[in-house]
Amino acid sequence: MRKFPKRRLARTGLLVGAVAVLLSACAEDKPLNTFEPRGPKAEAINNLALWIWPIMGVVFVLVVGGGIGLAIKNRVKPEDYDPDDLPEQVHGNPKLEWTWTAVPALILLAITIPTIVLIWDLEEKNEPGELDVMVIGNQWWWEYRYDIDGDGFFEDADGDGEIYGPNGEGGDLDDVEWPLDIALDDDDLAVPNQLVIPTGEQIDLVITSRDVIHSFWIPRLNGKRDAVPGRMNTWSIESPDVGEYTGWCTEFCGLSHAGMRMSVVALEPDDFAQWLADQSEPADIPSATGGEEEALAANGRALFQALCASCHIVNEDPNDPDGVAFTYAKDFTADELASGAAPDLTNFASRAVFAGATYSQYVEVDPDDDNLLEEVGGDGEGYLDLDGSLRFNDAALKRWIKDAPSQKAMDPDNSLGMPAFPQLSEQDLEALVAYLATLD
Amino acid sequence: MAIIENETLALPSGDDPAVERPLGVFTRPRNQTGLKNWLTTVDHKKIGIMYGSAAMFFLLIGGLAALLIRIQLATPNNTFLSADAYNRIFTMHGTVMVFLVVMPIGAAFANYLMPLQVGARDVAFPRINAFSFWVFLAGGLMLNTSWFLGGGADGGWFNYAPNNGIIYSPSTGIDFWNMGLMIAGIGSLTGAVNLITTVLNMRAPGMTLMRMPVFVWMTLVTQFLLLFAIPVLTVAQVLLLMDRNFGASFFDVKLGADPLLWQHLFWIFGHPEVYLMILPAFGIVSEVIPAFARKPLFGYPFMVFSGIAIGFMGWGVWAHHMFVSGLGPLTVSGFAFATMFIAVPTGVKVLNWLATLWGGRLTLNTAMLFSIGLVTQFTIGGLSGVSHAIAPWDTQQTDTYYIVAHFHYVLFGGALFGFIAGFYFWWPKVFGYKLNEAHGKFNFWGMVLGFNLTFGPMHILGLQGMPRRMYAYDDAMGFNTWNMVATIGSFILAISTLWVLVNAFISYNRWKAAGRPDPGPDPWDARTLEWSVQSPTPEHNFDYTPVVTDLDDFWHRKFVEDENHRLKRVATGAELAQPGNAEGVHLPAPSYWPIVLAFSLPVIGYGVIFTLWLTIPGIVLMMVALFGWALEPADDPDVEGHHDGDDHEPEGSDGDDHELVGASS
Repeated sequence: MRKFPKRRLARTGLLVGAVAVLLSACAEDKPLNTFEPRGPKAEAINNLALWIWPIMGVVFVLVVGGGIGLAIKNRVKPEDYDPDDLPEQVHGNPKLEWTWTAVPALILLAITIPTIVLIWDLEEKNEPGELDVMVIGNQWWWEYRYDIDGDGFFEDADGDGEIYGPNGEGGDLDDVEWPLDIALDDDDLAVPNQLVIPTGEQIDLVITSRDVIHSFWIPRLNGKRDAVPGRMNTWSIESPDVGEYTGWCTEFCGLSHAGMRMSVVALEPDDFAQWLADQSEPADIPSATGGEEEALAANGRALFQALCASCHIVNEDPNDPDGVAFTYAKDFTADELASGAAPDLTNFASRAVFAGATYSQYVEVDPDDDNLLEEVGGDGEGYLDLDGSLRFNDAALKRWIKDAPSQKAMDPDNSLGMPAFPQLSEQDLEALVAYLATLD
Repeated sequence: MAIIENETLALPSGDDPAVERPLGVFTRPRNQTGLKNWLTTVDHKKIGIMYGSAAMFFLLIGGLAALLIRIQLATPNNTFLSADAYNRIFTMHGTVMVFLVVMPIGAAFANYLMPLQVGARDVAFPRINAFSFWVFLAGGLMLNTSWFLGGGADGGWFNYAPNNGIIYSPSTGIDFWNMGLMIAGIGSLTGAVNLITTVLNMRAPGMTLMRMPVFVWMTLVTQFLLLFAIPVLTVAQVLLLMDRNFGASFFDVKLGADPLLWQHLFWIFGHPEVYLMILPAFGIVSEVIPAFARKPLFGYPFMVFSGIAIGFMGWGVWAHHMFVSGLGPLTVSGFAFATMFIAVPTGVKVLNWLATLWGGRLTLNTAMLFSIGLVTQFTIGGLSGVSHAIAPWDTQQTDTYYIVAHFHYVLFGGALFGFIAGFYFWWPKVFGYKLNEAHGKFNFWGMVLGFNLTFGPMHILGLQGMPRRMYAYDDAMGFNTWNMVATIGSFILAISTLWVLVNAFISYNRWKAAGRPDPGPDPWDARTLEWSVQSPTPEHNFDYTPVVTDLDDFWHRKFVEDENHRLKRVATGAELAQPGNAEGVHLPAPSYWPIVLAFSLPVIGYGVIFTLWLTIPGIVLMMVALFGWALEPADDPDVEGHHDGDDHEPEGSDGDDHELVGASS
């Protein structure tokens, strides 16, 4: 009798504990949650799942409950065990067994039909002429190529006139030369790390990779599709509303798989058009004779050209007398640099994320706190800086430039990722960050 | 029917081999006990025990890796392990658990039990059996030496191209993965040939295929799966070996290769692999549940044919591992359809086990609890498996923790729970003492709690978007709570799984202190032939070859139907059991060559990885072993009492009287 309340207490405690864990787990914000679809394709998947859950639930209760129930009901305690007393020796019942072969088969058939319908629905693409984006996986960041003139085609960068689009218009996707070109035509737009899309329309993607297999996954917009080198996989996403979505590479792609993330920003179509126009502009060139701030940035530009430009491009206006035609110093081949390229930094400051979408480029600050705003240094402009509460995350950026491999797993000795620059002084870092902040 | 009754392989010359010893025949090892005996034995029982012991050793390595993974993931952005260390550890965890734990435990049961259950003296090719074990151990040890020689493999157990190439993984880890598994695979292949031959050719008189215990059936299906699956993996590994070590370009995209080739090859192997890991456990619980429900397995033919159906259908579903690779909607639809329906035979098995429990008188001892544990936990894994077959939904699930949860419910909640049921059930037959029940109950409930705390939350984590193979996650992703729960669960699980070994140790000491009481040949009042010999099994298995007239023949000798069709006991197991005192039984002679041949292969393997010069002594050793083996007669000419002719029955036996004492039929 004395044992009982103790047990009940323990049981209640367990229950309360479990509920508390459950509640706290639900209360957290989950940017990758597949249960909260936003795009129509993710919703279609979730809707299919929603009526599978009850079927699974019923089978679960019947089988697991049946197993436990039968174990309790038919249990013979050791003291009651009689080795000569046998239950009825039932060897089987073919009718019953055929039934429980056929019934699950019919249930599965019922599940299969909408499954196959949805498999084909998910593959549906826009008519030619809509905006398409090419998604290229690299160790360990993503590059997004926009088809600027909006004719539904990607123009091949090597200028041989070979063109391809997600529906195979104008050429076979399989005809693409490998490895993929790094350099772009002037008319093309390549944006690393952050994919910006207009709301309310389906964006078709052509997904591929320059090195190993990656997988492109924005859980709230659609399922995932692998980025396979040598293949052009098609997929599509759509966001009905303005917002930011996160994703994570979901095919193991080597050392820094965990540092390969995606950020998708959906903008109103007008804002998107403006964004596209801004992105196509060449970078500003800070003048050494400008103000204190600008002179610092000009210093940074010189450092950038000396240290960073062998991997990173910044497109400057070739007609500007001070403009430099940045090109990749190395002729990248897979033997030399596994990922083949580094992100184009022309519009660096316009993005909310850097380092393979691992770090936020801006941090939230209290706009009423003057001290904090004074510390900003750079002007912190950017399309996300809508209410003035965001500041340039210069501390994280300095850490990154000085010693990137300590911030995100990389192996620069084997040409995998960005090397450390221990020789940079605090002033050098200030200058580089000031320069990067002008690249909006 | 039974080869054991055929003549020995006499030397073709007809000369007395004892007089004229052929070239290369050394004095054969004759130790009955001690280390040398274990190294040279060809006894299927000792080999089975060694398979199990080796698997337990590797389980400690794989389990330690699992705990390191869980510690790293306990908190967001943990720095306990580096990305590189984490990648190597999760790769080795998967590889070790699949190839060096679950597969060899299945082989341990098959080796020890299958010959006993079919009434055979040994397997068909005893020396090849020893070789299979040693080559598995050689490959497994070689794979694990990579920890000390440049780090383990870092490409995942699936090791996708082109990430497995020399450019992307320049360290030697993947070379060890390649060579180690290729070598271990030889053991699986020779073992498969051996066990298939044994089942098909060496059954006792009267044991038709449809009188074979379900465990024997599942062993047969499993070995056929191995026979056809392992070569596919080896093909893929040879291509990779050529790429990595000899500059070939099978997976070089620049030169036109398609990296999906690797995925197809790997999963054509990999999916049958899943079934060959789980089917032995299905066989085990199909023996345990009837024994402790005290009624026959419900629907034996359905159980047999559903096992065969799984074996066949398992070859047609591999591309469900590749639903997001870009195969095209037609291929995806086809494989979604096929995958959906492989759930049917599996469901039949689960329902038939439940029907066996229905109306039974259940003894809920540890073996039975683990069996019911398998039925319930595996069902959860089966249900999540069906949800993967819904290909659009799978695009949200694949490569997330939802998949990790799924296959741990199948392989841990399924296969390993079944194996532990088997340990508790057959332990007295193998070692002569029962495992302690109180510790067993602790073992079971600890594992159920720890297992579900570890892997249950992973379903949620996966659907909330946590991908697999991530060494760190951010605080803001909302994965903190369930990861911490899973880590706590994993320690409960580790301790309670370890309790199998603790229990073995405690039970052994108590048994020794009690003066080693005999558990009797048939401690569970069970059904199949292995319970008709003494415990532990005598070295020669059967004093005389049993003759089988029924499914569950031993049971039907203990009970007969009365006029009301009720079963009445006519004898106890102990009364019916063979006394195990036969003398002069001819047994296959031990040999040095299997272990020598097996350990020559890693020497070649190290040579391929480090310096080709080392392959030369390896090849020389291999050739010596091969010739030594080939020239060694199957029979030991030096053993006293050796004589030609039909010497497989004990002296004094007339060789015809196969009736068991007290048989009623």
